[in-house]
Amino acid sequence: MAIGVGALLTACSSTAATPLPALTGPPQPGGTLRVGLVGGGAADTLDAHIPVSTTDIARVVSLYEALLYRDENFDLKPLLALSATPSADAKTWTVKLRQGVLFHDGRTMTSRDVAATFARIVDPENPKSGAASLTVLDEVAVLEDYLLEFRLNTPTATFDDSLGQYALGIVPADYDPQNPVGTGPFKYKSFTAGRRSLFTRNNKYWRDAEPYLDELRILNFSDDNALINALLATQVDAIGQVPLALLEVLKTDPRVNILNSETGMWLPFTMRVDRAPFDDVRVRQAFRLVVDREQMVEQVLSGHGTVGNDMYALYDPGYAENLPQRVQNIERAKELLAEAGYPDGLDVELVTAPIQSGAVEAAQVFAQQALAAGINVNIRRVDTTTFFGDDYLQWDFAQDFWYTRNFLPQANNGSLPNSPYNETHWQNPRFQQLVEQAKSTINPTERNALITEAQTIEYNEGGYIIWGHPNQADAYQRYVGGLVSNSTGLPLSGLEFRRVWLGGQS
Amino acid sequence: MAGLIFRRLSISAIILLVVSILVFVATLLLPGDPAQAILGQQATPERLAALREQMNLNDPFAQRYLHWLGGLFVGDFGVSTASGGSVGALLGDRIAASLVLMVAAAAISIPVGILVGTYSALRRGRAGDHAATGISLVLAALPDFVIGIVLVTLFSTTVFTVLPSVTLAPPGEQVWDYPSQLILPVLTLVLVVMPYIIRMMRTTMIEVLDSGYVEMARLKGVPERQVIWRHALPHAIAPVAQVIAIQLAWLAGGIVVVEFLFRYPGVGQALVDAVTNRDVQVVQALAMLIAAVYVVVNLLADIVGILTNPKLRTGGTR
Amino acid sequence: MTQINTHTETSTTVVETPPGLLRRIIRQRQAKIGLVLTGLVVIVAVFGPLVLPWLTGYTSTEFVGRPFQPDGLFGTDNLGRDILSRFLDGGLTLLVFAALATGLGMLLGTTAGMLAAYQGGWLDSVIMRGNDVLLALPQIVFALLAITVLGPQGWVVVLVIGITHAPRIARVTRAAASAVITEDFIRASEMYAVPRWKILVKDVLPNITGPLMVELGLRMTYSIAAIASLSFLGLGMQPPTADWGLMINENRIALTLQPWGVILPVLAIAILTVGSNLITDAVARASATVEESK
Repeated sequence: MAIGVGALLTACSSTAATPLPALTGPPQPGGTLRVGLVGGGAADTLDAHIPVSTTDIARVVSLYEALLYRDENFDLKPLLALSATPSADAKTWTVKLRQGVLFHDGRTMTSRDVAATFARIVDPENPKSGAASLTVLDEVAVLEDYLLEFRLNTPTATFDDSLGQYALGIVPADYDPQNPVGTGPFKYKSFTAGRRSLFTRNNKYWRDAEPYLDELRILNFSDDNALINALLATQVDAIGQVPLALLEVLKTDPRVNILNSETGMWLPFTMRVDRAPFDDVRVRQAFRLVVDREQMVEQVLSGHGTVGNDMYALYDPGYAENLPQRVQNIERAKELLAEAGYPDGLDVELVTAPIQSGAVEAAQVFAQQALAAGINVNIRRVDTTTFFGDDYLQWDFAQDFWYTRNFLPQANNGSLPNSPYNETHWQNPRFQQLVEQAKSTINPTERNALITEAQTIEYNEGGYIIWGHPNQADAYQRYVGGLVSNSTGLPLSGLEFRRVWLGGQS
Repeated sequence: MAGLIFRRLSISAIILLVVSILVFVATLLLPGDPAQAILGQQATPERLAALREQMNLNDPFAQRYLHWLGGLFVGDFGVSTASGGSVGALLGDRIAASLVLMVAAAAISIPVGILVGTYSALRRGRAGDHAATGISLVLAALPDFVIGIVLVTLFSTTVFTVLPSVTLAPPGEQVWDYPSQLILPVLTLVLVVMPYIIRMMRTTMIEVLDSGYVEMARLKGVPERQVIWRHALPHAIAPVAQVIAIQLAWLAGGIVVVEFLFRYPGVGQALVDAVTNRDVQVVQALAMLIAAVYVVVNLLADIVGILTNPKLRTGGTR
Repeated sequence: MTQINTHTETSTTVVETPPGLLRRIIRQRQAKIGLVLTGLVVIVAVFGPLVLPWLTGYTSTEFVGRPFQPDGLFGTDNLGRDILSRFLDGGLTLLVFAALATGLGMLLGTTAGMLAAYQGGWLDSVIMRGNDVLLALPQIVFALLAITVLGPQGWVVVLVIGITHAPRIARVTRAAASAVITEDFIRASEMYAVPRWKILVKDVLPNITGPLMVELGLRMTYSIAAIASLSFLGLGMQPPTADWGLMINENRIALTLQPWGVILPVLAIAILTVGSNLITDAVARASATVEESK
């Protein structure tokens, strides 16, 4: 029986599909969009301020809105704020609110709600996800109904960047996550953790015409296979985060459109600079030189990504573009290892986990490439719970995944001695000094020069191997309109379903 | 006989008690902190400490075990650490979904297996018998996921694309509202379970048909059809019931792989998820549930065996 | 098996496994088919890694092209490696681990079973109740917990599968051995004060080879299935090892695009398990007829 399968395969593989014309014309209102996303589980939440999984983020972005947001070009744009301007010393930020914005329950959003929201996020008893980036915040002062002041304890020239996080959605002063009220384009209707969320159109939304959809359904999937099958079977209309190797599956189907967005996401290897063998900068340099970055992008990302240069914050205006692209150089790597006392190569353990599509794959490709320089990489695969468990941030040689961020917020998160996620244990006085200086520099040109210099230090000595920046690939049925490519790294146009519409509704 | 049954009952109870200790200890050994697992990358020391306190992770082991065991008796399986909801409520849907799969598989494989086994026995040595025994021998050897993947390639992805290969219930609806999604998982389970029933049925039916009892009926001039349906079949059913029981008990655990393959939202997938999420309470509840099903089904089979046949038979494999 | 027995057990009185058993097995058409099928897969698994580089031109970890492309005879896998090379390299670990797990299960199971049968009394009760507990703990739950606690390493998988086999083997052994220990030659050995372990190994064991061989074949089939299933669930072999079960796990996602990465290992596992089941069935029939003819 089984042999018959093999023989039939080549003959009969076909996908029954009727090509539909691409959508043209203005957006049409109405309809239900069914979105499939991988991730989430019993721990799923509707709380505005503790999103973890992609489905959490999709819910948060649909129900709530922050003061500012990152648009599809990774530019910071106003959302519930009209403007956010720093004082001359960058210690006080004045935020002017948009007027006439209503919460789902019909009440008007004012400064007091904003102040209460931030009080909830930084609550010392129960700090929320966004609190980590708000440590500089001393006080949110309500000046007028639509005017606030954010008073900081440290000069922060890029505090507006912190305000643009999706986990800082503004909620009413009496917010209760059991009654998830926000100002977002969609209203809560029903929710089952790990399964599905059902939202309806917010008819009082402040933007004209948007959202176009009557209803939004967010469906959890536990694996990519199921996700793709569901799209091909038209059980869902759009899916986010398609594994890049599988884009070919979808490309052959004429009913499906693909959204392939370049992003600044990165999937680094992390070397602890305070532990042998990586405490020797020559070992770190050697490890960076054994990576064939082009091949990494080819094998791990199926070519859907950009080559990395061991620096994050790809879209930061201060990104050190002048530095030469690092390429594989086995000879030099061997020399460096010999100088560091490993003339015969060395054995290392690389801890990996399926923390992101491509992570375990990248570890395997790295192991293969490193062999050429006499580096014997022993891959230890753990599950994500173990990875993020007690030893998280303590692994000598591991991996991590980061979304697109600009330099200063990213450095705050992972490259300073007091950063919450300093996984490389990177501690460089000059680097710290440059970051501190840049934080309080309001003049963008000067700030960018400082950032470039700080990045150069990491480029030469740092503990990250940043081999590439994966694209974000999504897929959707031809009849879905309004999705555009987006470089934030969030799937499906940054999960902004307000701009999505369905053809053939009328 | 009542004493024998009572002995069986008490042995089963002790077994379950020992299993509960094993399960509890094993779940405590799971690496990683459940609180950390829930919060993931978003964990801050304050949130971790608060959650640990809330989950009673700081109490001594023995106290937690007794507390948990006490809960089991009153149907309180604790609170799911991952979702914050009660385990019972969380698993209700999952158990129902798995039951649908198991009941459907049993409802198909038992009668069909008995019929095919009987047919095979009646046509002993002929082409039909060879085909039936050959196919059941092959199917019995195949791992469940192999059968599942072959079915998926045949009917879903590669050869014909007629059936869905994954399960997906839209909001507010249950898996059984979409029968087409149930076909492949049920068929897989049927093909896994049925060969054993066919083989056992064939063997016992041949024994019964050769017995003097059936011979006597034939000699008396009872029509052949009636000999088979009225006399032979009922006598062959009892030993087959044991095999059926073993297969049902196996289903309780074996369903995990099939659910994983078809992404079916049942207990199997819940178990895999719970282990990954370190949702200890759910792992404990499911392990106990699966063990209890196994013990109870075996107990029932034993009792049926004791009641119907004084000559106790030992079960098959699996 | 029979030959080994004749060589090692010449000193004591042994009721030899009838020499006709092996011939009876081979004579069956089923056994022949089974041997051919199993042999085929074993040859691929054992010699595949040896002939790999010159046969396909690639090692099993080398990158050939992008993932899931039709390059080469059967295309590339999820990392752009040659599927045929991975396939040829991926059977040996499965076979070795299955053999080790089966061996461990047989060792534990026969020892426990024989002890239970021979000693009787409280030891019998303890062993058999322990058996019941292990049987009630579902294999998959046990494996899932053990592997999460101890990590997905080869020895853990072997241990888990071996332990889950043991109680079933112990039952069969106990039943078979109970019939043997009442025989006169055992009494005789006891009278000569032959040590207990010697009686078990030299007198009891050779006389229950029939059921044990059936059990061996059955457990081997289940070991293959169980190890492949664990790898399929992502709990067995770990990347970048080439392994059939893991290949199915890794490439299942692209079943529509590049089915060979799944179909080749699935076929191999199917042929292997069917083959070993056919042999086991033949062994069972042969030893049954031997029993009858005694």
